[in-house]
Parts: sequence; structure tokens; C-alpha cells
Amino acid sequence: METVTSDEQMVERALSGDPEAFGEIVRRWERRIFALAFGMLGREEDARDATQETFLAAFRNLRGFRGEAKVSSWLHRIAVNQCITRQRRAKVRSETALEDEAEKNAAVFALPADVSPARTAEHQEVSSAVRKAVGALPAELRQVVVMKEFEELTFQEISDALDVPLSTVKSRLYTALRQLQMRLQKFGEAKRS
Amino acid sequence: MQNEIERPICHRAEDLVTYLYGEATIEEARDFSAHMQQCDACRAEFNVFNQVHESIVTWRNEALGPIASPLRAREDISDVGPEIVQHGRRLPAFAALREFFTVSPLWLRGATAFVGLLLCALLVFAVSQMWRQPTSNPGNEAKYTERQLREEVEKQVAERIANLNQTQAQNSASPGEKETTEPQPPNRDATYRNRPRTQPRARLTREERVQLAADLGLIQGREEETPFVLPDEPNQ
Repeated sequence: METVTSDEQMVERALSGDPEAFGEIVRRWERRIFALAFGMLGREEDARDATQETFLAAFRNLRGFRGEAKVSSWLHRIAVNQCITRQRRAKVRSETALEDEAEKNAAVFALPADVSPARTAEHQEVSSAVRKAVGALPAELRQVVVMKEFEELTFQEISDALDVPLSTVKSRLYTALRQLQMRLQKFGEAKRS
Repeated sequence: MQNEIERPICHRAEDLVTYLYGEATIEEARDFSAHMQQCDACRAEFNVFNQVHESIVTWRNEALGPIASPLRAREDISDVGPEIVQHGRRLPAFAALREFFTVSPLWLRGATAFVGLLLCALLVFAVSQMWRQPTSNPGNEAKYTERQLREEVEKQVAERIANLNQTQAQNSASPGEKETTEPQPPNRDATYRNRPRTQPRARLTREERVQLAADLGLIQGREEETPFVLPDEPNQ
């Protein structure tokens, strides 16, 4: 029976000089970290950069990993910080430019071929509205929504990753859902009018 | 969707999100479900949050579906043990069969069971026939009973005896006639008569008979004198 090496064991091997060990950690987690970054930033290009920076930062701080938390929580925390840093930098850019790029970026992702054009247009409208609504959330709410909806982490996992109490995660998610509902409602009203 | 200002807020907000994302225990879920029957605010929020959740899932699938799916990523990470993975591989065929019986109408289930039993019975019958044949009917002898066999043997023996008697009668009549014309030594005649005749022997020509006589040393040469020539027929 094949035994799966845990993330913590892989970190130990990386620290002891195994060049393949950290590569294995990247392989295991890059898609999930990318999903988190995409949910936080809303742009594929930014998400890729943030993912790359997350693993670079993790590699540099590998000796700082004390093993008290899970590797997954540690990586998520680094990724969230990277995304918040990038968003602060992005505020320098104009809102209009961001909107245009986001619209252009949305068209990159192709829907399945069997979806009708009307359905495709509807999906794109909903996606655009949700992306804007999530992007407009405060960072502390947005990260909880993304971790829950994009990565399907449990409340406990989010609590560990963000180092906040479980009840805080739940109340943040509740608040985020209410705000999203308000923004989507406005979008629906604007569309009808 | 209702407006946030119009919608009242219940003190069980945290329980609501726990229930919404399926992380409540069975008892917690039962408790909150009962609470929702009484609380209009929670019931309304549950429906609204479900719509928000579906909208986010639509966005996620559209954006990340071809790139990465969180569920797929989890499988790749192999957080689950090998036993669970093996179970996951075996499950679909069994699950499909179970689902088939679950969704099928009663008559179809009955017909399927009947056909299954019929096939089993046919299989058992075929196997039993296959095992019985070699022991009860080993060869052609089984076609006759003991009495029929005895009768058949007696009949064939009687026929043979009759044939032999007839042949003997014919043989005893023909030598008598020949002895009157040209007597022959009995031994030679018997040898000739008993020799097997599969096909009629070709008659020798005169030249062949002369050659044969010369070969046997009965004559000195062809040209000197008239050779002794064997007659055409042995009896002549």
C-alpha cells in the first residue's frame, strides 16, 4: 500500500536539503492557492502573480515554519497577505482601467460548448455581477467568502488559516453574505430598469 | 430578494451559516430546521443566502472550472486515505445498480427478479444435465437392454451359421463336377480355393507363359523347341 507523505514531512525534507520536497508542496497546493487568489483579486493575471509570490515567500520563510499550524493554514495565510498587498498597490490604478480589464478577463474563460448563447450571456452577467460584488467587499470579509466558496474549506480550517476564532469566521461570513445579497439585489434592479 | 432594511435579523445568525454550509451536526441541523419553521427571518435569509451561494458557484465554475476545481484539487492532494479512494472506485457500479432498483417501478423490479431466477434455474438444469450424461450413457452399448442384446447376438449367430452352411454346400458341389473332367490333387485345389480373391486375376498371354516357363527352368530356350506352356486355367 502506497503511503502518502504529509505536508509537514515534506517541509522537514525540504529543510534537510531535499530539492524535490518543496516542489511537491507547490504541486499539491498551487491550484487551491490560485483559486483563493483569483477569488480575492478577480483577475487571472493577478492571481497567477500572487500565487507565485506566495510560494516564493513560503520558500524564503521555510525555516520560520514552526510546525504548530498546518502547512495548508500557513500557505493560506501567506496567500491572503499577498493578495491584500497587491490590492493596496492596485488602488493606485484607476477604477475604470480595472473594470475594463476585468471585463476583458472574464471573456477568457470559455463555457462548455453545449451551453446556449442566451444561457452563456446570462451566466456572464451573473458572474460579472458576483465578481464586482465580491471585489467590493472589505478584505476581511472577502477572504472568508473566497475560502468558503472557492476552496470549500471548513469553518475550522478558515479559523486556523486566518488565526481568528471560529465564531468570528461565521459572523464574517454571515455579514459578507448579507452585503453580497444587497449588491446583487441592486444589480438585479438596475438590470430590470 | 428582500431588502436588508426590511428583513429582521435573528440572533441565530451563526447557526444559520453553519446549517447553510452543511457543517451542523445532526442534532444541530434538526434543531435549526425546527427553528426555521417558526422564524420567518431565518427562513427568508436561508433562501436568500442560498441564491447568493448559487450565484457565487456560477461565477466560480465559469472562471475556474477549466482551470481548477477545489473538489478535484482535494482528491489530488490525497487528503483521504487509500481505503476511501478504493471504495470510491468500487462504488459507481454498485451505486448504479442500487439506483436502478430504487427508481424502477414495482413491476420492473418483479420482472427483473423473475428473469434472474429463471436464468439461475436454467443454469442449474444445464449443469446437472452435463454431469449426468457421461455416467449414465457412456457408449453405444446403452442403446440395448440385456435381453435385446442377447436376442441380437443370437440372431446374428444364426445368420452366420446359415451363410456358412450355404457356402459349404456350394463348395462341396463344384469340386465333384471338376473331378470328373480332370482330376487334380486335393491339396492344390484346396490351396487354390482357400486363396483370397479380392479381384479377378488377369490371364497371362502366351508370350508371358513362355517367359515364365523359361524363368522357371522348364525349357532350355525359346527358339530351340516348343516350350512347355502352362494352361490358361489351372484346372485345364
